[in-house]
Formats: sequence, C-alpha cells, structure tokens
Amino acid sequence: MPPRAPIRRALCALLLAAPAAPAAGQDERADVVHLLQRATYGARPEDVAAAIASGRAAWLEGQLHPVTIDDSGFRARLEPLAAATLPLDALFSAYPTPRAKRERAGAADSLARRRLRDEMRAAGEASPRRIGAELAAARLQRAVYSERQLESVMTDFWFNRFNVFWGKGLDRWLVPDYEREAIRPHVFGRFEDLLSATARHPAMLVYLDNARNSTPDVNENYARELLELHTLGIDGGYGQADVEAAARALTGWSIAFRGEVPEFRFRPALHDAQEKRFLGHTLPAGRGIEDGEDVLAILARHPATARHVAHDLAQAFVSDDPPRGLVDRLAQAFLDTDGDLREVTRALFTAPEFFAAEARNAKVKSPFELVASALRLTAAEAAAFNGTFQYLRAAGELPYGARDPIGYPETAEAWIDGGAMLERMNLALALGAGKTRGVEIDVAALVDEARDDGYFHALAERLLPGGGAARVVAVVSADVAGGASAPTASAERALGLILGSPEFQRR
Amino acid sequence: MAIERRMFLKQGGLALLSLGLPPGFLARTLFAESRAARTGRTLICIFQRGAVDGLAMVPPFGEDAYFAARRTTSIPRPGAAGGAIDLDGFFGLHPALDPLAPLYEDGELAIVHACGSPHPTRSHFEAQDYLETAAPGDRRVRDGWLNRALSATSCACDGRTLADRAAHAADHAAGQAALAEGSPLRGIAVGGDLPLAMRGPVPTLAIPDLERFGIDAGAGRGGARARERGVDPGAEAALAELYRGEEGLIAGAADESFDAIERLRRADPLRYAPAAGVEYPAGPFGRSLRQIAQLVKADVGLEVAFADVGGWDTHQAQGGSGGQLALRLAQLGQGLRALHDDLGDRMADVVVLTMSEFGRTVGENGTGGTDHGHGTCMLALGGPVRGGRVLGAWPGLDRDALHEGRDLAITTDFRDVFAEIVVRHLRAERPDGIFPGHPIDPARFPALLA
Repeated sequence: MPPRAPIRRALCALLLAAPAAPAAGQDERADVVHLLQRATYGARPEDVAAAIASGRAAWLEGQLHPVTIDDSGFRARLEPLAAATLPLDALFSAYPTPRAKRERAGAADSLARRRLRDEMRAAGEASPRRIGAELAAARLQRAVYSERQLESVMTDFWFNRFNVFWGKGLDRWLVPDYEREAIRPHVFGRFEDLLSATARHPAMLVYLDNARNSTPDVNENYARELLELHTLGIDGGYGQADVEAAARALTGWSIAFRGEVPEFRFRPALHDAQEKRFLGHTLPAGRGIEDGEDVLAILARHPATARHVAHDLAQAFVSDDPPRGLVDRLAQAFLDTDGDLREVTRALFTAPEFFAAEARNAKVKSPFELVASALRLTAAEAAAFNGTFQYLRAAGELPYGARDPIGYPETAEAWIDGGAMLERMNLALALGAGKTRGVEIDVAALVDEARDDGYFHALAERLLPGGGAARVVAVVSADVAGGASAPTASAERALGLILGSPEFQRR
Repeated sequence: MAIERRMFLKQGGLALLSLGLPPGFLARTLFAESRAARTGRTLICIFQRGAVDGLAMVPPFGEDAYFAARRTTSIPRPGAAGGAIDLDGFFGLHPALDPLAPLYEDGELAIVHACGSPHPTRSHFEAQDYLETAAPGDRRVRDGWLNRALSATSCACDGRTLADRAAHAADHAAGQAALAEGSPLRGIAVGGDLPLAMRGPVPTLAIPDLERFGIDAGAGRGGARARERGVDPGAEAALAELYRGEEGLIAGAADESFDAIERLRRADPLRYAPAAGVEYPAGPFGRSLRQIAQLVKADVGLEVAFADVGGWDTHQAQGGSGGQLALRLAQLGQGLRALHDDLGDRMADVVVLTMSEFGRTVGENGTGGTDHGHGTCMLALGGPVRGGRVLGAWPGLDRDALHEGRDLAITTDFRDVFAEIVVRHLRAERPDGIFPGHPIDPARFPALLA
C-alpha cells in the first residue's frame, strides 16, 4: 500500500480543486477515461472499470507509487530481452565494443582478426544492434503490458526530455543503463536528482560531448542543451556568457574506463578552476567538482526551470498549446515542493485545466502512442519483435532513435502529414486483417457478440473510449454490409476501420 | 504554418465561396497543375548514405601523393590494368563508373571535387543531418533544404501574401498565376522513408514502393506483401468516408493522402515501361530509379525526387579497381546511366545530383579500408549541366593541404552547389532562407549549370 499521507494530501487537493462533487455516472466515467487516455498507453475497459471502482484519486495515487503495483506478468515478458536488463559489465562482455575486439586481437593481421570475428559470432556474441533492438522491444512491451502504466508513460516523457540518441558511439551500450538508473528511479523523485543523474551518466557525457569538455578546449555542447532544453528553456533569461560559464564549470566532468565499462569521473587536471559568474552567482576560484554541482543546483531551483518543466508537461499531457493557467499552476507546484516530481505529476493529473472540455481528445497520438494503444486496446499478443516496428521506423519514431537532443516532438503538427496518414491507415487495416507480423488479435473474443446494439458498436466503444463510436459504426456498418462475406472478415475490416478512424488517432 | 495550410485545404473551399469567388476559380486553384508540370524541371537527389570515398570515385591520378597514401585502394593510372578512365589528364573516373564516361564526354556529366560540409564532425548521423538540413552545426534547423526549396518555388506570385492564405488566393482570383501548392506529388522520396532533407511544412511524400502505394491492409508497414496494387478500393472509400466532414489537422492530412492516391491513379506511372534497351541494376536502388523515371514520365508534377543508396562505409577491405567499393560504384554507374537513357529527351529538364555526408581519410587504415574523412565529390548529370568538367579548386593531397592533417580539404561548400541548382535549375523565386546563415552568392556557385 502507498504511504497514507500523500493519499490524504491528494484527496484534499482533489476536493479543493474540484468545483463541486461531480455528478456520478457518465461524467465520472468520462473523467476516468480522459485521465487514463493521458496517464496510460490505452484505457482498456477493465482499466476504466477498476479506476471507477477505486475512485480516480486512489487509482492515481497507486500509479504514483509504482512499487506497490505487482508487475510480475510484464517482468516475465522482459526475460528474453536480456540486453535491456543486463548490468553494464555483463552487457559490455556480451557485446564487445570495436575497441575490445581490437585489444583481443592484439596486433594480429587481418586474417587473424577475421578468424576472431568468426569465433565470436560462433560463440553467440552479437552485434550491438541487438542491444538497440531489444531495448526498443522492451519499451513497447512495457507500454502495452506493464501494470505500472504511469511510471512507463512518465519514464518515456523524461527520457525524451533528457534525450540520448542510441546510435552515437558508446551510447549503443550505455542507453539501457541510462534509462534504468538515471531516468526511471527519478520520475517520481526530485528534479534535482534527475538532473544530476543525467549530468553524470556516461551516456549523456558521450552524447553531448561533455566527456571531452576540458580547459582550455571548452566544449559547450552539453552546457548549452542543459540550459536550453533540460532546465531554463530558450527564453529562460540567460545569455551566451552563462552558457560559457556553465561549460567552464563542467570542465573535467568526464568518463574513465573500468575495464570496458565507462564510468563518470571528475578529472581535476581538466577543470577550469578560475572564478566564474553564472546567472548572477559567483563560483569562486580554486574549486573542482563543486562548480558543476553548484550550476546544477542553481538550475534545478530556478523559476525559469519550473516554468519550462511545467510547460513541457502541460504540452505533452494536456494540449499542444497549453493554457497559461495550467503552466502557472504546475510551475508553482514545482517551486512549492522543491521540484518533487510526484507532487508536480499529481498536480498535473488533478488540475481543472486537465479536465476542461477543450482538453478532451485534444491530443493526437504520436506513432508510438498509436501502436501501443492499438495493441493494448485490442488485447493483442505482440511478440517482442513485431511488424509495428517497421511502421514506427517509417513514421520516424523508433524508440531511442531521436538524434537531436530535443528528442521527439510532443505536438501533432510534427507527426501528421499526408504520407503519415496513409501509413497510419494502412497500419490499422493490417492490424485488423491480422497481417502485422508477430501480432495476434483475437477479434471474435474482443467483445461480447450477444450485445443488443450489435458487435460493431461494442467493438467501437471498446476501442474509442473517448467517444465517437456511433459515428464510426455508421460508416463501418455501411461498408461491411456493402460487400462482406464471412463474419470474421467483416469483423477484421471493422477493426481496421475503427483503428484507422480519426477518433482513434486522438486521445 | 502547416496547420494554416491544411486548414486551407480543408476549409478553403467554404471560405472562398463565402468571399463570393466563382467555383471555377476554386477548381483552378485547388487542382492547378503544379509548377513542375508547367516548367517541367526536376531535381533528382541521390544520397550516398555512409560517406563515399571521393578519391576512389574520381581519383586524382595526377598526384603522386594519392598513390603514396593508398597502397591497396588506389585506382591505377589510365592505361594501366584496371586503370581510371581519364577525364582531364589529372582526374579519372573509377573504372566501375564506366557507363558514365560517355555522358562526361557528351558534356552532360560534371563533377564537383573537394566538396562538402564545412562542419568538422565525423559522425555519420550528425553529418547526414547537416547535409539534409543544409545548416551545418545548427541543430535547431529541423526541416530539410529540399522542403524549403519547394517552399521557395511554391508560387510564382509575389510572396507578400503567402502567410495569409485567403488573401493569397484572392490575389490569384484577381488574375495572378495559379496557386501551385496543390499537388502533394511535388516532392517524393522513393524507396524508403521520408528523409530529413524532404521534411517540413510543404507536403512531400515517401513512396516506399510505387507498386504498393495506396490503401491496402497488405501495404501496411510490417504487413505481408500486397497481392497487387490498390486492391482495396472498399477500404479506401470507407476510410475517406470516415474523414469526410471532419476538420483540422488529421482530416486535412488524410485528404492529402487520398488526393495523392487519386492523382497517382489517374497518372498511372506504372504503365511506363523502361525505354528499349534500358536495364536498371537489380536491387532496391535500381528499383527506386526506375520508379522515379516512371513518375517523371507520368507528368505528376514532380519537382524534387530523392533516393538513398547505401554501402559506402568502407572501413574494411575497400578494394581498388575491383572489390567491395567497386561493386557499389558499378551499381551506381549502371543505375544513373539507365535513368539517363530511360528519360531520354526529358533529361533536358532534369538534374541528377549525388551527395554524401563526408569523404574518407586520404590514408588507409590497418584493415584495407578508409575511415571517416572530410571532403568528397558530387556528380551532377543532366541536360542543364555544363558537363565534361571537373569543377572546384583542387586543394591537393600534400600533408600541409589536408584537413586536420589527414583528410581531403573542402574548397566548395556543398550549400553553394545546392544553391546554384535551386536558383538556376528549380528557379526558386524566394531562395533566401533556404540555407540558414549562408546567404546565396552566385559568385560562389561552382558554375555547374548552363
């Protein structure tokens, strides 16, 4: 069970925030569906029923304390995906880096090298591509099958906000650990801890080149993104001098190798120990790692950071152009709690703006959200490696494949164009027709066929909890009546059309 | 901006009717032939993804330093066994590019050597992105230069009103040239996903395979292969019905999908067989080129086409006149020659341009290959090209002349090659801003085009 105090606090917050006791029944159901459409990867009927039974606040509270939720079913699905779960030492020995291969080969000629390569291949040592593939598979499995849905959703949000591209050098080995150690443990913790964990993780040090940031050859790459993307934001009131001061403060934040494994190491010899002025603070001369620590601490508490985090959360979870009042509210929650992300997340999912009419169905699903919700709502049995990844690649949202530090976009405009809609519609039809490799959907078992208002209606209501079922059913029925043969064929067509409908693209 | 465009697509009809404009105007505007259909000009970009060795593609056999640096991967001098094809007494063509030699002689093929990005990165992904955004070093630029080029050729009229769609349309109604942004087929990437170079506010399309383009469960990515093209008109009609009457971004984009399908159905590019005697190389690259030729012949209004060809990252066993790289180059040469011969007279309005994110080290590594370098070369082919020349100042391969002491230096910024093509071939009317932070200056053009 979650600790009691936060529950009480949440209930108080909820009672204070709510204008009046909501009319039970349909309104409460709609609120629950709306909450689940944003806080999970798909509001299945059983999820909605459970959240109504326990109450919206209690459901949220449970999700905010993921350790209290049994997730053994999902854990079992992770077992074949070792690369996603192996500790770093084991990962580096299972997937040797080019450097390790060279060292093992010594000064041997190319023939000896080739022999070594063949031996390693025979011994089952795989290419690091396998790590990326298993990691991506694990993310989709988690999104579809984990009971800790909010933790999964927020981990993906924060990873994206502190993005590291899997394909850059050693990051092919480091990203699993980065997500596991630097991101996930902090999504309901303190922002400062999250910031510090990402700043020190070798994955970030490699990705944004801070491992090479040394005096006098200062590399500003990480410092710039730290201010612009991770904390203050582009309009956060800093200047080039602050970027330079932060970069100098972070000189010497580097990596060292323990065997094959890169680890964080502060190298005093590479550190610029002169005095620096950063955002109005003086970082005195003659220090070492404290300079960088001070920079992170200043940034983590800065009002501009609070606003920036608040804006990004509101944009990702409420609307592409979030209401100012909501951003203010979340920024205040951030500042009041010293960046306690559990409190900020609770404030987000209980805010009146979150439940406002204009926020309902206002977000367009990203390609990953589209796939995850389709698999989740159709109760699909999806193999770790399945055909939806080809769609995700085509749509440009392969997990861990965002090259830029800004990560993948959180707004619809970036994901939607003519080609993208064609891919979406064809994905939907393929899923419906059972033509997506590695995905099994039992169409007949999805809903109770004996319902009075018909199978299609039941199917549409299941898949479109946010509304619009009646409109879609009218079109589907006309199409299926027009040329259907076998009942299963029409069910498959109906499923494809519902998944391809405009309603299913939104959440 | 994209929302405005789609709102126009979706709601423009009603909005214009409410302005009291005649329906005939509406038809002309929304279904106007695109600019390419009027000017017939097309740019075909071939991205050699993986960093091609420009020193193997177009070897500088006149330099002793070339042979000194390349013990196993150099291409012998012309006349020797497996020797380069002499172009100008100093540069040669890799013997595997033999199909292109007559085009050089006929003045249709030019080469820009020692060309590339001024950014020093040796990371494939960074350098590819910078080539595709044409904004080296600026990660904030998130759309592609080809998309911006399409935006700059969008409309022949005064760009003053482009930001305001209704006013812009009204200008046209008042007698200006037709609005040309209607076709979603102006920019097409064939054979794969939409590359960054093509992404941006102007609608562009990825066509993984023309034979499978359309609404079809079997065409879904990760689905089984379609039995035949466009087999599911029922599903298409039902989906169109689902999006009819809807408004906003999703519905506008869906309309673009259906519009593209309908235009391709009418133009039916697949009915164009390759010209007599033309044989494209087997494999995805040859297939992409064949389909690009079909789109050009079908007059779908294609202004910019894009295809990828990979396999250039030759760290090991690169080979010389024969071997790994030679095989890739043979495929490239055969493909470009087939495209040229297939398009025939239409090449008068076509420029084909090859590009790669960077070149490779001048010296060889310990595994018979070359590592990530700096400058490389580009091929430009087509009627508008003033060919038969190797362009760009040659920095030489002496140690002092090398970039960071190891790589071919750059004397032509790739943006100046792109800029010349955008201005002189595509006739962009508003080219400023296509190359952020790099103003267009004809004095820097390599003088590729007539």
